[in-house]
Amino acid sequence: MSGLELRSVSKTFGGLRAVGDVTFTVPERSIFGLIGPNGAGKTTVFNLITGVYKPDAGSSIRFAGTDLGAMKPAAIARLGIARTFQNIRLFGQLTVLENVLVACENRRRAHLGSAILRSPLFYLDETEMNTRALELLAIFDLDGMADETSTSLSYGNQRRLEIARAMMLGPKVLLLDEPAAGMNYGEAEGLKKQIRWLRDRFEITVVLVEHNMQVVMGVCEEIHVLDHGETIAHGTPDAIRKDEKVLAAYLGEEVHEGQPAAMAPSKSEGAS
Amino acid sequence: MSPAVKRLLYVALLLAAVLGLEFGFDHLVKDAAWRQLALFAMVNVVVALSLNVINGLAGQFSIGHAGFVGIGAYTAAVVAGNVDVRLGPDDLGSVVRLCARLGVQDEVTIHKASDLVKSFAVMPPALLGAAFMASAFGLVVGLPSLRLKGDYLAIVTLGFAEIFRLLIATAQTGGDQQGPISAAIASLGGQNGYAGPLGTGVPQFAGPFWIFGAVALATILAWRIKFSGWGRALRALREDEIAAAAVGVDPTAYKVTSFVIAAAGGGVAGALLASMRDGNPTVQPDQFTFAYSFDAITMVILGGSGSVTGAILGGVFVTFTVKMIEQLQGLDAVQALKAAHPNLDLNALRMVVYAAVLIALMILRPEGLMGERELFRRTRKLGPIGKAPVEPVPVTTGAEAAAAKDPGGEARS
Repeated sequence: MSGLELRSVSKTFGGLRAVGDVTFTVPERSIFGLIGPNGAGKTTVFNLITGVYKPDAGSSIRFAGTDLGAMKPAAIARLGIARTFQNIRLFGQLTVLENVLVACENRRRAHLGSAILRSPLFYLDETEMNTRALELLAIFDLDGMADETSTSLSYGNQRRLEIARAMMLGPKVLLLDEPAAGMNYGEAEGLKKQIRWLRDRFEITVVLVEHNMQVVMGVCEEIHVLDHGETIAHGTPDAIRKDEKVLAAYLGEEVHEGQPAAMAPSKSEGAS
Repeated sequence: MSPAVKRLLYVALLLAAVLGLEFGFDHLVKDAAWRQLALFAMVNVVVALSLNVINGLAGQFSIGHAGFVGIGAYTAAVVAGNVDVRLGPDDLGSVVRLCARLGVQDEVTIHKASDLVKSFAVMPPALLGAAFMASAFGLVVGLPSLRLKGDYLAIVTLGFAEIFRLLIATAQTGGDQQGPISAAIASLGGQNGYAGPLGTGVPQFAGPFWIFGAVALATILAWRIKFSGWGRALRALREDEIAAAAVGVDPTAYKVTSFVIAAAGGGVAGALLASMRDGNPTVQPDQFTFAYSFDAITMVILGGSGSVTGAILGGVFVTFTVKMIEQLQGLDAVQALKAAHPNLDLNALRMVVYAAVLIALMILRPEGLMGERELFRRTRKLGPIGKAPVEPVPVTTGAEAAAAKDPGGEARS
């Protein structure tokens, strides 16, 4: 198995069980949705996969045959698991280009010593990485603002920059945490295409935490539903849409495509 | 010209410049007090440049930099003192002959030349020893920085610097029946200061050549560290540790390394401080109080946290501002004021003026003189901009998506 595999993963904070006995496997090259009402533990699952939190004893998180449980976040990232954050986390004072360049730091051949000596390898590395980073920025239509500080970008551009930075890692799995937050209908439609296109172009697996049902139902091939940290359903979008437990969990809120779900956070800052 | 030749040329130019300063600095700055101050400012620049790696680039708050400077100073004093004793008294013979062949008759120049020749035997081991010892302590202090942040880390660094200083200052000198450790600490002279292995003073071999040379080297190093992938990752870590880890930057390695590098720089500054010709051939614990750590922080913040040129400006500015305010004391108006009010404490007044200058600067330029920018802006030469040989993501903006209304299309290429 070379996919991402979670076996009875639990996480307890003090007395609070944030995630309880969650098991699922993300097929390779799929677009996988992880949904659930607020506080269901979706982001906690992301944080467990990426090593920000350590899972409770008895949990097993494996990727490409490696147990991630005891690994540090940086090491997990180097294995090829990249992520974005629910509340955007960019390197504020760094430029757009620098933000992306940081993500290839671990693949650099010229280390601190040759950087200080400014050896030919250093220049070779810099040129190569700059070219790659600019290509990636061009893909996300950010190359025109490469030298601006990332805080000066609009909300939508900041979200795209976060994805560009994650892609610079050269990941096998991309974890997207609420990429559609604050997007209107048209933007969310665009996002759906972008996610599919990214998967096909870079041959990656995408795992999506999202509240926006328009996006989730439109793009995911398989969906895993959490409520209060427990699994309540797993299946294709069509199956999930009809699942009674899921409908109950969302308290009768309308869950059909074409309408932004009522619980989607409406940060209305304009995206370009 | 090939890059290698160009580089050699730069090195030669730099060497010529510092050699010129070694012999010409007396003529360049006539007043001995100002000369002394300028050299002290240069040492402070090294202090600011090294502290900038921790406080500016890594975003860790260290308020114990004087500790590293002190460790460097004591190490250099011990090493230089012992090497000097081994070398024995000056052997001017060969230098005099060389000068005679070059047609130099000037007594002062000959003396300088022989000092410089001898300094090449004394300064390298002193500087290296100081850097090594300080960086070893940097590693020890850097390790807790993995778990501590902000105020908590500041307290650890402050505690370290004070422990170091008080260990030496309160050592019982002249006592007998001491263990080997306390005897070793006591041999550093306690409160009165260390004056070399024979008690005749620490050899003073750090002339303009070594001081300006160290500043040049520290500047180049600091610049190259900042503008490398490593420096970029360190700055990223400062901005957001979790996000940096999520793209494979290991916070542990970077933070500890930054502490080690900064400590080594502080140690070098300490070595210069111990060996400079400032009429004080001893190293005293009181040189490395919290006040000096605080001055170092002021230099970094005032110059612009994270800026290399800012640290240089800050180091020079703080050193000279303190001196300028001291000079004010000599003004007739101030003396008249003192005569009119005998109770007036001019030293206290000096600190009030200094504080006022700092507050005014922070109000006018809250980011420091430079912010994180550099004086000589580096323009990006690498990579084509606007010439993108790749297909953009199919739909980039929501507006386009709505306009396109193309639900079937997978990619627009």
